[in-house]
Amino acid sequence: MSPPGKPLMILLAEDDDGHATLIRRNLTRAGVANEVVHVKDGEQALDYLFRRGAFADRPKDVNILLLLDINMPLVSGVDVLRILKGNPATARTPVLMLTTTDDPRDVETCYGLGCSVYIAKPVQYESFVEAVRRLGMFLEIIQVPPVNGGGAV
Amino acid sequence: MTTMTPSQGGPAQPPSPQALARLVDLAEDAILSVDEDQRIVLFNRGAERTFGYVADEVLGQPLDLLIPVRFLAVHHQHLRAFAAGPVDARVMGERRPVHGRRKDGTEFPADVTISKFHDGGRLFLNAILRDVTERVRAEGAIRSLNQELEARVKARTAELEEANRQLARKNEENEAFVYSVSHDLRAPLVNLEGFGKELSLACQDVKRLLTDPAMPPGLRVEAEAIFGRDVAESMTFIHAAVGRLSVIIDGLLRLSRAGRVQYDPKPVDPGPIVDRVVQSLRLTAEAKRAAVTVGPLPAAWADPRAVEQVFANLIGNALNYLAPDRPGRVEVGAVAGGDPGASTYFVRDNGVGIPEAYRGQLFQAFRRLHAGLAPGEGMGLALVRRVLDRLGGRIWFESAEGAGTTFYFTLPAGPTAGEPTGAS
Repeated sequence: MSPPGKPLMILLAEDDDGHATLIRRNLTRAGVANEVVHVKDGEQALDYLFRRGAFADRPKDVNILLLLDINMPLVSGVDVLRILKGNPATARTPVLMLTTTDDPRDVETCYGLGCSVYIAKPVQYESFVEAVRRLGMFLEIIQVPPVNGGGAV
Repeated sequence: MTTMTPSQGGPAQPPSPQALARLVDLAEDAILSVDEDQRIVLFNRGAERTFGYVADEVLGQPLDLLIPVRFLAVHHQHLRAFAAGPVDARVMGERRPVHGRRKDGTEFPADVTISKFHDGGRLFLNAILRDVTERVRAEGAIRSLNQELEARVKARTAELEEANRQLARKNEENEAFVYSVSHDLRAPLVNLEGFGKELSLACQDVKRLLTDPAMPPGLRVEAEAIFGRDVAESMTFIHAAVGRLSVIIDGLLRLSRAGRVQYDPKPVDPGPIVDRVVQSLRLTAEAKRAAVTVGPLPAAWADPRAVEQVFANLIGNALNYLAPDRPGRVEVGAVAGGDPGASTYFVRDNGVGIPEAYRGQLFQAFRRLHAGLAPGEGMGLALVRRVLDRLGGRIWFESAEGAGTTFYFTLPAGPTAGEPTGAS
């Protein structure tokens, strides 16, 4: 259960606008009503997570769940994951890797760095919906700690 | 020469001393003698030709005249030892080649036999020698040709090894390229499929709207025709095309991965692996009314997962390409006496066979000969060959159109040289 009073928002880091749109639509269709913020590269994702740059003024008291694409320009998803998990303030943020590959090496790397779930973006739409549905269930049961160690845990 | 012939009917007569002297003088080889003081006392015509002196120039002169200066000391020593020793004749130069010196100062290699005897109380040391410049030159030529040949073989071997390394590197590069391209191709495919489905959903919404009573009936019929027929048909084709592309790209990814995956060779008993494969294909076999029999299979030295992949592809292929008009038979077994150090297996079917014209391209990716008979991306045999390549095996086949096909493949029977045993 999320700490009371703190809305859960979804940070979607995805450089492919099509994929981002599909993910948002299917989240909605699966009944996930949380706010979704879409950033298009790893750098922006880190800015958002650490409240800096263009996102210095973003709301502070939110719980964040990160949907992270692996292949992104500037800073890759794997690098974002590494930085996130290496910082005590953000280490407990749940991260779902969304990728077009199920390459065992990538999967291993991401789980090794501490991602929560690794989902290969399926080409078959039915399995995609299924993955999103599971994601929705995941969102309902997950314990989401505050970012920035807000002290409210 | 008549002096050499025994006279008719009489007892054999030795040649006279004069005849012997003539024999010596006419010999092709150089024959010369020195006295105890190593002064030349005999110098035949062969010696004249060999050394370039006429006899008168050298008779009474020291033997040193005929010997290269650098060999003088050692020559004196040898000759004294021979004069004093028990042996009265021997071949010289067994340890190092003997050299003579011509009048013009040039040197030549020679085969030399020496002998000694006393005559009238005086010691004579004699040498018979032959200039072997030509032979030594020829031997040298052969030796240098051999060395050159060896060097060329060595260089060629090194070139081939380098070419092999470059090919392997190229292959790795190609596979990495195929991998990254296939990977990149998947991203737009996710969009195509995803938004295709979105369009279908939108169409459903439109169709629902069309049922609204406010819709003029004529317009509704027309719109329903468009959405129900044209749009639906277009969507079906797009969906099928995306599905096919996706299967191809996944196949490419698997193929490129086969070249990069780490294999862990160990002793493998293929029996249980094949049983597992056959079990997993049971439903397919039943649907095709096919019987799969498995004979004894010798052990191999390979990665068990790769062995399973190979058998699964070959047995799956055999089942897929059975002839629909007769009960199928698939036979898995081994043949004795194949490649040394390897186990040879076969997968035989009584299926449709492979047309002559397609046999050359059978192991290439995306070649599907009987596309109507079974689903697949035409990647199985390319994958099997690549996997066997990596494992140190090979694959070939025999086929009769309309009668069936037998695939044979080998796997190492034990660890190959230079390979870690994998036991650690």
